[in-house]
Amino acid sequence: MGALSRLNHFFWEYKYLFVPGLLFTMISAGFQITVPMVVRQAVDSIPRFVRIHTLYEGTAAQAELYAYFFGGLLLFAGVIIALSATSGLFMFLMRQTVVVASRHIEYDLRNALYDHLQQLSTTFYQEYSTGDVITRATDDIEKVRRYIGPAIMYVTRSLVMVLVAVSVMFVISPTLTLYALIPLPLLAVSVFFMARMVHHRSDLLQQQYSTLTSRVQEALSGIRVLKAYTREDAEADAFDEESEKYKWRNLNLALVESAWRPSFLLLVGLSTIIVVWMGGRLVAEGAITIGNIAEYIIYINMMTWPVASLGFVITMIQRASASVERLHRIMDREPDIADGPRTDASIQSLEGHIAFHNVWYQYDDEEEPALRGVSFDLPADQTLAIVGRTGSGKSTLVRMIPRLLEPDAGRVTVDGHDVSTIPLETLRQHMGYVPQEVFLFSDTVANNIAFGDLDAPDDEIRAAAREADLLENVEDFPDGFETYVGERGITLSGGQKQRTSIARALIRDPRVLIFDDALSAVDTATERNILRSLRERQGNHTLVIVSHRLSAVQAADLILVMEQGNIVQRGTHEELVDEEGLYADLHEKQLLEEEIEAL
Amino acid sequence: MADDETPYMQDDDTVREVNTFDGRLIRRIAQYLKPYAGWVVLALTITLVGSFLGPLRPWLVQQGIDNYIVVGDLEGLQRIILFLFLALIGEGLLSFAENYLTQYIGQRAIYDLRTTVFRHIQDQPLSFFDRTPIGRLITRTTSDVEALSDVLSSGLIVALGDLFKLFFIAYFMFTLNWQLAVVTLLVMPLMVWVTFWFRNNVREQYRETRKQIARLNSFIQEHVTGMHIVQLFNREEEEMDRFEGINDDHRAAHIRTIFYYAIFWPSIEFISTVALAAVLWYGGVGALSGSALTLGVLVAFIQYARQFFEPIRDLSNQYDTLQRAMAGAERIFGVLDEDHHLPEPDDPVELDAVKGRIEFRNVWFAYEDDNEGNPDWVLKDVSFTVEPGETVALVGATGAGKSTVMNLLLRFYEIQRGEILVDGVNIRDLRLKALRRHIGLILQDVFLFSGSVERNLTLGDPSIDEKSMKRAAEIVQADQFIERLPEGYQQDVKERGSSLSHGQRQLLAFVRALLYDPDVMVLDEATSSVDTETEALIQQALERLTEGRTTLAIAHRLSTIQDADMILVMHKGEVRERGTHQELLAQDGLYRKLHDLQYADQSPAASGDGAPSDGRVRANL
Repeated sequence: MGALSRLNHFFWEYKYLFVPGLLFTMISAGFQITVPMVVRQAVDSIPRFVRIHTLYEGTAAQAELYAYFFGGLLLFAGVIIALSATSGLFMFLMRQTVVVASRHIEYDLRNALYDHLQQLSTTFYQEYSTGDVITRATDDIEKVRRYIGPAIMYVTRSLVMVLVAVSVMFVISPTLTLYALIPLPLLAVSVFFMARMVHHRSDLLQQQYSTLTSRVQEALSGIRVLKAYTREDAEADAFDEESEKYKWRNLNLALVESAWRPSFLLLVGLSTIIVVWMGGRLVAEGAITIGNIAEYIIYINMMTWPVASLGFVITMIQRASASVERLHRIMDREPDIADGPRTDASIQSLEGHIAFHNVWYQYDDEEEPALRGVSFDLPADQTLAIVGRTGSGKSTLVRMIPRLLEPDAGRVTVDGHDVSTIPLETLRQHMGYVPQEVFLFSDTVANNIAFGDLDAPDDEIRAAAREADLLENVEDFPDGFETYVGERGITLSGGQKQRTSIARALIRDPRVLIFDDALSAVDTATERNILRSLRERQGNHTLVIVSHRLSAVQAADLILVMEQGNIVQRGTHEELVDEEGLYADLHEKQLLEEEIEAL
Repeated sequence: MADDETPYMQDDDTVREVNTFDGRLIRRIAQYLKPYAGWVVLALTITLVGSFLGPLRPWLVQQGIDNYIVVGDLEGLQRIILFLFLALIGEGLLSFAENYLTQYIGQRAIYDLRTTVFRHIQDQPLSFFDRTPIGRLITRTTSDVEALSDVLSSGLIVALGDLFKLFFIAYFMFTLNWQLAVVTLLVMPLMVWVTFWFRNNVREQYRETRKQIARLNSFIQEHVTGMHIVQLFNREEEEMDRFEGINDDHRAAHIRTIFYYAIFWPSIEFISTVALAAVLWYGGVGALSGSALTLGVLVAFIQYARQFFEPIRDLSNQYDTLQRAMAGAERIFGVLDEDHHLPEPDDPVELDAVKGRIEFRNVWFAYEDDNEGNPDWVLKDVSFTVEPGETVALVGATGAGKSTVMNLLLRFYEIQRGEILVDGVNIRDLRLKALRRHIGLILQDVFLFSGSVERNLTLGDPSIDEKSMKRAAEIVQADQFIERLPEGYQQDVKERGSSLSHGQRQLLAFVRALLYDPDVMVLDEATSSVDTETEALIQQALERLTEGRTTLAIAHRLSTIQDADMILVMHKGEVRERGTHQELLAQDGLYRKLHDLQYADQSPAASGDGAPSDGRVRANL
């Protein structure tokens, strides 16, 4: 429960809603609780009125009395309605303050979480799955909100109702009150246990639902194997079995839920019966009136929900506490790549001279190092190409330049400054990065390109698209640059996505342009076009290009050939072709491929 | 709690509500209840009795007050108390039985529906799966079915129960005092109106809320996945603003919903209090005029005024449930109505023992049409024969059509022209399962199902005993690594930390194929790299696997097929060259080039321990 205290500052922050909210809660409960008293007065008055009225049977006063009693009854009705209206008004205000406040806090919490997420680096995202993060941002925050809003509202209301009602009842008849209230604590306790059982069983149900879902997913993903081995019937039987299990877990839950309403009914009904029974005896003894019985029945009905809700509230609080802990496991995490005391704020612009000094990097303690002492020096405005097989460390190397990763040992410098001393914003502002795995947002083509430069006017977006050889494609799209991509729009081909991602980097007109195998999904003709536009820019930026295809790297000033985290060859295309080694092999392979393709 | 619950669920499909009730659709849903008609009748009977017992209690209270308390007959009161108690217990038990029984019926019907949908989907041909995203199919079998469960379980029965309850409440009120009954029921239209006003607004609000939740979720999903892009492009501030915007809309939608709840609950409370006040006033005035109003009646009416709200609320809930289920039902039946499964031959040819002669005769095939509506041919006039026991290898660049040949032999797709024959019989004249039973398929990417190694080997076939499984594993020498796993054959293959290497997966696939003892082996050689030791194991295993079996192999490493009886060189959907390894090399054509390509990027330093992406130098070359 201790975790929940971390939320206390929110109550303080929204005191302008919570203080009146709790006041409204009490007022509303107070007014509501007076209704039964008036009802009792009315019920008890009616026989009195009737008696007096009949006493004056036939006299002139009877008409006068009739008018008087008529008015009196009307007054009772009016008072009841007025009380109820007032209570209702405050109930309305209560929800409009307390529950609304909980939504505000939910909003703040979620903003804070997202803000924090933006500061966390790749290491964090490797650790937590997307699903995990989403659950925290939605489910966990919602659970916390229920504690902040509804739970607190119910507790306050319940306490006021129960305290006032019980005191009033006690004044009327202590014995009857004691008897009538016997079932209520039972109600709270059974609600608590049932809520726990329901939670437990619905968790089990949820698990089985996931099993069922992944069973379907797997069967359909592996449909080729299933069909080839004619295992469809067996798989269907296995699915039947899982469905059967799911059915039973559902029914297990239904068992508890089915008992829910009846137990409510029984306990409340029992109270009513006790009131009629014991109350009847007391009426016979003359200790209370029949109006009191009516009053008691209403009180008990009124208290049912508040008492039951106490049972819920306990589980709500338990769940919220667990959620707060889960949330804070993210919130307490310090961003590992961020500006710090070493940051030199005076660095405002970059030229693009990149150097690696004996850089080592290892993703995981158990894995082989991805980089083993890499060093090179690339003057500004030059082009660096990196080739090598999958897993040789090329991507790891380029990710260090915009500080997506930090070296375990050694230094990466830009313009002679260690990258960790350059303000992160300055560093990245001057970089245009095209990642290996293209990621586009479900937004328009234009917005995806302008992601690199928010204020870019339309003609610059067009220019960037043209340079990325995307313009013709975009013009064929139904809405041109305003076409949505992704789930809600059109599906782009791999090459189109890659070119959009290139345009996004180009539009920034960066000092350093990094292509991490960014031409893998485009055909050779497109590649040529893009390379041509890059050449036109030459002299305006430092270009780092990772590629499998040699055609893309031939013009580079420096080519690094990587293998197992080491640079095994370095030089220009001309130098490397003549040197025996991986580069020459790759070159030969490429020539052959071209030949075969032409056949 | 119950009143401002907002489930965080997100539909894969666009939220679509069906506003008109389609009678045909409802009847079709009801079909699934038919097998449980007996249970439904029982549930209805229970509901009927239960709905009588609830309104009976206030009436008994009235009897107790008027006939015994007022008179002071405590013994008579005790009798009434006993009846009250019995009625209460009875109602409790019946209510429990009703709730559970309706769930029981509903869950059974749901089970039927779900398994039907799954079997139906599974029977569709591969072209269906190429077209339809798996996610959508998962939704059909899971959440869409789930949406129907409420309708099937409680829907009809509970709705009828509510109507009964309203009827009995009205009945007792009229029996007790018809004038007061009329006065009380006067507020009923108001109650119904408020309830439906609330429902309508909240439904709309709910839709809006769901939309906002979906927006929020997809924003987070997208930005968590693409966080590195946000960070690289210094977009943190802008994205934070956008997030705040979406978060704000989300909050606003909820706050609007709170407003309706804030009005609704007090209004309901207020209306029933108005009914109560009206009863007191009208009853009191009536009593003055000498009508026979008793205190018991008054107390009973106080209770009735509260009781009849619940069924009204329930009914409006049911209306919502039904509406939501309609959209799901429509989608499910959409899938069930679209049936593409390949027709079985009317008079199938039985093949008891397959010798394994395979023949492709002028086969033309296209997966789909191009933009102009002409078939986009993937195979063009492909003909070849594999004699029983022979090994034929397919080679060629990516996209040459090699995998398609395999898919067609297994009849995953229907060819447009030509014939495919197994032992001289057209595969269309064979039952699908009969055909596939004789062919063992080993795919390039070995698909592992979650669960134990054993499950992955036997694919859940109980007729395969442990001994033959271990025997098969020994033959391809997979037993060594399996036994080294912490839990051996029972090891969960997907459990963290026990992930199997590519080579090991390959070996598992070999065991799998061997266990089914096929007459024809079709294999797509893995391109993924494996370490030298495993490589040697795989090579040996392959030899044992193909021994004496007709084999059709797609080779990526030309070194593995030098002993093939025939090599077909495919290029752009056609067989360009055919012959043995030596013959083809001598031709100095396409094969020669492919062969050279294999060895082109071999850096001597890298062979053996590196991570070559494709091809490798072999000692026996």
